Amino acid sequence: MNKSIVKFNFNGVLRQASCESRTTLLDFIRHDLGATGTHAGCEHGVCGACNVLLDGQIIRSCLMFACQAEGAEIKTVEGIAQAGELSDLQKAFNQHHALQCGFCTPGFLLAAEDLLKKNPNPNEIQVREGLSGNLCRCTGYVGIVKAVLEVAQARLTINGGTNA
Amino acid sequence: MKTAPFQMHHVNSQKEVLSLLDQYGEDARILAGGQTLLPVLAMRIASPEHLIDINQVDELKYFGKKENFLVVGAGVRQSELEAWSELPKVQPLLQMMFPWVAHSPIRNRGTVCGSIAHADPSAEMVLALCVLGGVVVLMTKQGSRTVPAQEFFVGALQTVRQPNELITEVRFPIFDQTATFGFAEYGYRHGDFAVVAVAVCKVKNKWSIGFGGIDDCVVVHHFDASTLEEASNKVQTLTTSLEVRQDPSATSGLRRHLMLTLGHQACRQAIQTDKEDKR
Repeated sequence: MNKSIVKFNFNGVLRQASCESRTTLLDFIRHDLGATGTHAGCEHGVCGACNVLLDGQIIRSCLMFACQAEGAEIKTVEGIAQAGELSDLQKAFNQHHALQCGFCTPGFLLAAEDLLKKNPNPNEIQVREGLSGNLCRCTGYVGIVKAVLEVAQARLTINGGTNA
Repeated sequence: MKTAPFQMHHVNSQKEVLSLLDQYGEDARILAGGQTLLPVLAMRIASPEHLIDINQVDELKYFGKKENFLVVGAGVRQSELEAWSELPKVQPLLQMMFPWVAHSPIRNRGTVCGSIAHADPSAEMVLALCVLGGVVVLMTKQGSRTVPAQEFFVGALQTVRQPNELITEVRFPIFDQTATFGFAEYGYRHGDFAVVAVAVCKVKNKWSIGFGGIDDCVVVHHFDASTLEEASNKVQTLTTSLEVRQDPSATSGLRRHLMLTLGHQACRQAIQTDKEDKR
């Protein structure tokens, strides 16, 4: 019923699959493309576990239909590092115990990347503010905030003031 | 939490939108940013048979100054307006509010007109339109009409929009340089629904104050005051005299307390900006 083929650039690879018009981008990525790094949490925009980048902008993949992403460029947590390797941010999350169960982590990683892109040198309050759209029920956020602050400083040192 | 089946219509022009609305009326919903519509569909509070996706309608993607209004077309995302370099000068109240409108992933999709269409009495965009005395432009296949904000919202999530009408644009009046603004909000998490939100618009000694989240519609009052003390006294009177709702998120007592403290805060902000400007 109302099926259509949806095709878009997914983490640098052109992917396509058929889905119903009511399929959210989140379900399409997980079930039809088989990329389960993006997590389905609350499914109504509150928790941030399903954050993805749509044409470079962070959005909730549960609040968009897959058929609306036709022709777009989608980046998920699988696209932030080479396969088998960890990004600097992922390493910092590991080091600072910024995750326990890991369910919220993909959403936090993308939110943190978005925050650092907009503000390469945030203070603690700005990090907390920038991540306030994501919920974590394990860590109490302290480790997450530390990890993001550390990566911001490290990148500033490497890039001499600008952030990649 | 899954949407019931529907037929999706991807359209490219306003004309197509209007003719689909004319054809399907009550059975169709407009899909703009979808940030409130998708949860509503997922929870099956609404299950329309047709969705009209206006994201590819370029002629609705406009905003800017037009006469004495900031006009915002139905295709404009909140983050686009938020990032506009002239916003602090043209519409300072909206600039104060945007950080409080959900979170950036939501504002990257959500539209200004979508917030108005959803008509949540605790929404910042609704509060801004009401306290500034804005206008909603509605269009059908047959023609268009403009409705003042005070008449547009008739209840919680209820407006006078007819099933065949598209909100093509909202207009926020632009005040001259003597106007100053204040805004304060309380929610349980930053970016969540406001328990109470207060917006103030001050032109010399003429004040407009709007309270969001206290009743089914935003409540706006106008008064004269030349000092902060006088304004605060007016706020205090309103706090005790207005009808204030009670629900599981807050008692009416808590809401009244918030109206008072946030009201003071917003008035102080409006007065302080005034003084800073004169220096």
